[in-house]
Amino acid sequence: MKVDHSQPLEYSTEQNRLNILGFWIFLGAEIALFATLFASYFLLRNGTGSGPSDGEVFVIDTLMIQTFLLLTSSFTIGLGVHAMRLGRKTATINFFIVTLLLGLGFVGVEIYEFTQYIDEGLTLQTSGFSSALFTLLGTHGAHVTFGLFWGSFIIYQLITRGLTPETANKSFIFSLYWHFLDVVWIFIFSFVYLKGMI
Amino acid sequence: MRELFPAKQVMGYFFSLLLTVIALAVYFVDMSYQVAMTILLVTAFVQAGVQLVVFMHAGESKDKWSIYTTVYYGVFIALVTIFGSLLTLIWGY
Amino acid sequence: MEFFDRFAVPNPTFTIYASMVAIGLTMLAILVGITYFKKWGYLWREWLTTVDHKRIGIMYLISALLMLFRGGVDALMMRAQTAIPDNTFLNAQEYNEVFTTHGVVMILFMAMAFVMALMNFVTPLQIGARDVAFPRLNALSFWLYFMGAMLFNISFVIGGSPDSGWTSYFPLAGNEFSPSVGTNYYMLSIQIAGLGTLITGINFIVTILKMRAPGMTLMKMPMFTWSALITNLIIVFAFPVLTVALAMGTMDRLFGTHFFSIDNGGMDMLWANFFWVWGHPEVYILILPAFGIYSEIIPTFARRNLYGYKSMVISIVAISALSFLVWVHHFFTMGQGALVNSIFSISTMAIAVPTGVKIFNWLLTLWKGKIEFTTAMLYSVGFIPIFTIGGVTGVMLAMASADYQYHNTMFLVAHFHLVIIPGVVFAMIAGLFYWWPKMFGFMLNEKLGKASFWAIAVGVCLAFFPMFISGLDGQARRMYTYSESTGFGIWNMISFIGASMLAIGFILIVYNIYYSTRYASRDISSDPWNARSLEWATHSPVPDYNFAITPEVQSLEAFWDAKKKGHKLFKGNYKEIHMPNNSGVPFIMCCFFFLLGFALVFSMWVVAIIAAIGIFSCMAHRSLEQDHGHHISVEEITKTEEKLGGAKK
Repeated sequence: MKVDHSQPLEYSTEQNRLNILGFWIFLGAEIALFATLFASYFLLRNGTGSGPSDGEVFVIDTLMIQTFLLLTSSFTIGLGVHAMRLGRKTATINFFIVTLLLGLGFVGVEIYEFTQYIDEGLTLQTSGFSSALFTLLGTHGAHVTFGLFWGSFIIYQLITRGLTPETANKSFIFSLYWHFLDVVWIFIFSFVYLKGMI
Repeated sequence: MRELFPAKQVMGYFFSLLLTVIALAVYFVDMSYQVAMTILLVTAFVQAGVQLVVFMHAGESKDKWSIYTTVYYGVFIALVTIFGSLLTLIWGY
Repeated sequence: MEFFDRFAVPNPTFTIYASMVAIGLTMLAILVGITYFKKWGYLWREWLTTVDHKRIGIMYLISALLMLFRGGVDALMMRAQTAIPDNTFLNAQEYNEVFTTHGVVMILFMAMAFVMALMNFVTPLQIGARDVAFPRLNALSFWLYFMGAMLFNISFVIGGSPDSGWTSYFPLAGNEFSPSVGTNYYMLSIQIAGLGTLITGINFIVTILKMRAPGMTLMKMPMFTWSALITNLIIVFAFPVLTVALAMGTMDRLFGTHFFSIDNGGMDMLWANFFWVWGHPEVYILILPAFGIYSEIIPTFARRNLYGYKSMVISIVAISALSFLVWVHHFFTMGQGALVNSIFSISTMAIAVPTGVKIFNWLLTLWKGKIEFTTAMLYSVGFIPIFTIGGVTGVMLAMASADYQYHNTMFLVAHFHLVIIPGVVFAMIAGLFYWWPKMFGFMLNEKLGKASFWAIAVGVCLAFFPMFISGLDGQARRMYTYSESTGFGIWNMISFIGASMLAIGFILIVYNIYYSTRYASRDISSDPWNARSLEWATHSPVPDYNFAITPEVQSLEAFWDAKKKGHKLFKGNYKEIHMPNNSGVPFIMCCFFFLLGFALVFSMWVVAIIAAIGIFSCMAHRSLEQDHGHHISVEEITKTEEKLGGAKK
């Protein structure tokens, strides 16, 4: 394996550079995926049938908590990558752990929110609107949950193997994934929740 | 020590919190639908741009061109899918 | 016994029972055969675990030919049923199932697989790479496709085939009107295969962008590689739309959601909308690689360089963007307003322009060329007039107001078959004949090949031209029969004769493969066609590592200029070559995918959860595994190169 020491660790081998570009292209596909989910939500938003509508169920408190948790986790993983580029293994690991804890908090609040919706009579099967809402939020939430498992595997590898071109590459790619989920959340925050509550 | 301080990230974080607060104004402050949507559109896309450039380092490697092409193409497809579907099934139906 | 009732076919006939027995016996014969000849180890080591793009390409090829057989039999059954008025060969339900599986199998499991086969085999060779960017993912892509295809095909004997058309429009495809599990099979098998396609898309974009031989700038790439790049770009952005639509359809059927239902705020037209947001780009996913193949074959056998390389590149890039802007023309009659229809009508006509540019470029390449009519060239030249007829009738359909007359008639069926068969099938057969010597080290028989061309070309015209007439006379598609007084009988009989000729053509191709495998000379050069691009600069068949020395490219037609202008492709000496290791994980993971799909079709939740855990375990294994591949030593390269006829310098 040829290691190029003039570059950050995550870019240092040819395979690493391929991985990073490949992951960006995957994120391109994810943009199309979430766009389709958004499109179906916008189209079905008024299809409430006999169930409640968006303005009736959305709550600003949980929304603000979720947004704050995810924005902060995006910041902490940014710090994690920064620490990784300075070669600080322990700091990297700690920032990654904090990130995952914030992500866990986000998922927890989301589950709580879903139970609230169900209490108010809005379930997956209620209407076109509820199906689209749960699917859009659920897909995002499932991505975060998957990220929690993926991130744990990476932290384990950082602890046991240290900062190598491979683990650095994985960590960097994971950070791309995490930031991307934050970007998706910003659009959910703006065009699902806030637009629905105006 | 300056090298150790992640100035870019801290600024990005404050900027994104600021954008969030501005966006929340549409809920807490009374305003017309058009103004509110304009604010949301601007804050959401600026926020996405901040994440992309500050945190995701989209422009740092030699594949910058490929990465930006992918992102722009994805955004193009996203807008076409969303607005095309709305046009076909609601606005122009 | 109640548990097993769900697996019963809802409309059993003698044919289906006979097929069950036949499938059972074939499976048994294969298992016994492999055991008897002690080939399990060979199969596992050389094929099931392989990550080599050439072997994966060949596996795609075999699967595509199998699926061609399945889809072809469906087609023949349909043509036989409608050959005479009031026929009773198939009943309405069987006819519904047959046209549904014909469409899905031909588009998603035959044409896509064929495209993947040639793309896998050729692209890395054309850019001078050792393999694709992510060999392991490439294997995963193939097995996902394969398991999806198998899952779809077992629906025939377990639980019942889908019967709501290859487009599966809701509400017809909903539980109310399609109560059997057939449509579940449709949703889940395409989902699994589609996942594989998406992964291929990412893989090949990175391969083409990052792994080209030194000196090969984007504008020095062969046309086939360009078309592969653009095709994969479309795949990456179109397939997620299908993923979401299928997921919603699955949830509507399994969990009672209201995406596409008529009550409770659902929107049934949303399915048609999303299906075609993916479906129209899909048409170009199939046709662009075909254009790429023609752009390789025509210059080779006209002995001229490709006319208008730059305009070719510009037109496929234009197509890639335009292909996402035309989808509404598939449902002009669904009720949207005149403005919407006008917009999509115009964009549809606009996309004909870059396609027209390409046709003229091929014609001008042929102009004053020294044309050599090999089988591959015959297919390429035959493609131009037939495809043009299919294409211009497409422009007729693009006029929204006129489309009210053509919509859902046999006119449409004639149009898209006359686009897809010359556009995709001719190209795939041409590509098969053209690259066969590179794949297997011997050539397919030319005489049989030309015979197959004439049978297929005449068969296509006979089978589909009459449909223009019967369609304009008002024969609707997907109707299992018609009365004698309609006067459709004669046209449908001609179609049946044409379809039979097509069948003969395909049998000739299969016989050709058998005949050439037995009798063709193995003593051929590595460049039997006197071709122009890099894949012909290495040996036939190609060694594991593709090129002993990475080629250095100076011009667009690198290999041609190496032969004619004395450019030096291979500089320096052999160096150790790094290659990826084989792995059984993709295969095992896709077996879990198959199980997951099967369990979800029948709503067996416990099995589904176990299968999902299996999939995640495979991913976890991949995350923790440390696999750095292996190296091929210089001595080994020297030995292989000597065996294959000396190093190419």
